[in-house]
Amino acid sequence: MIRWLASFIVFVAALFVGHQLVLDKTPGFIMKKAMTVMKENGAQLHSFTLSARTTPQSQTVVRPSPDLAYSICPFDLSGGQSLLVQAGAYSNYGSVSFFDARTNNFATVRIGPEQTPGARFGVKLHPPGKRAADDNFAGPQIEAPSAKGLILIRRLAPSQAAYDEVAKIAVGDSCGPISG
Amino acid sequence: MLKPLVLLTISTIAGLLLGGASALYMSGLIGPKSIDAFSDIDVEGWRSDRSIGSASADPYTRARVSRHGLLALAKEEAIYFTRATDDADAPLDDACIYELSGGQQDAFWWSITLYDADSRLPMNDDDALSIDATTIGEDAKWTATISPTQPETGHWLSSRNADLFDLTLRLYRPADEVILRPEETLIAPSIRKLSCGETS
Repeated sequence: MIRWLASFIVFVAALFVGHQLVLDKTPGFIMKKAMTVMKENGAQLHSFTLSARTTPQSQTVVRPSPDLAYSICPFDLSGGQSLLVQAGAYSNYGSVSFFDARTNNFATVRIGPEQTPGARFGVKLHPPGKRAADDNFAGPQIEAPSAKGLILIRRLAPSQAAYDEVAKIAVGDSCGPISG
Repeated sequence: MLKPLVLLTISTIAGLLLGGASALYMSGLIGPKSIDAFSDIDVEGWRSDRSIGSASADPYTRARVSRHGLLALAKEEAIYFTRATDDADAPLDDACIYELSGGQQDAFWWSITLYDADSRLPMNDDDALSIDATTIGEDAKWTATISPTQPETGHWLSSRNADLFDLTLRLYRPADEVILRPEETLIAPSIRKLSCGETS
């Protein structure tokens, strides 16, 4: 009797642990898998890659919008370096969003019509625990909650012509380490 | 001595497996597709969750969104509503033809996109995956047809090869009122079934 009771208690405890473990690990697992797929499709560390125009044949993540052009920059700040993220101004809707290793959107900065045409947007991204540098940098400085993650630029491009315009601007997107 | 150990081992493994499976099921990652990925808000069948993209999201929401809406933005930049049923509460099906109708949304830009049961764009080459504010223009009221073949006139969302599908309404840079009180301010599009089993 005691043996069965002990087994039942162990079963319930394991049920709870298994439930919480899977729940906790799922977002990180899916994010890691997504980043692997992105790298297989050409995304490079600390460099923006403009994805092909979203079609059923080109989609790599769930629920992509066919009306947006996406530029992706995977980052890994575990070496302690900070990144300078720059994006070319765009005449329509645009945003630069930052995602941590657990899929949380921890920051979003808008780019678009409010920017001076031709100007470049700039943000400094720091590793966890590193404070913003005391410098004369005019743009936002953001601390990442995890060493690894993803930076995503979205620009409105509901047509091939709009996508082609984005492609010209996206050449100027960058997310490289800050030297020094 | 061996029997108790075996019993405890089996209990542990069974508990871990069942616990893990229950987490996946309650998060909508396995089992019947759960449109309850967006379950905090319900505006005439269009469902959303205020904590999408946020670290404050509960673990179930975060798990569901990572599966069904990875890289979704937090509500201050974009809000997402998803609907999988028509006005009669029947599942959206590519065997049927629907009239989608609505008005302008209080946001910088909006779109409605069709996805299949796997949260992917349906595998067709019709180039009619969505309608958006630039397509609709300044029309205060608009309509579109959802069907597997193109209608003779008007806006069209292709459901060809979508099987059971849903629609996602995206609002980018929504007005503060829409973020705070979507149930009162969202202009929820209507989805009316016109026919089933016929080609247009």
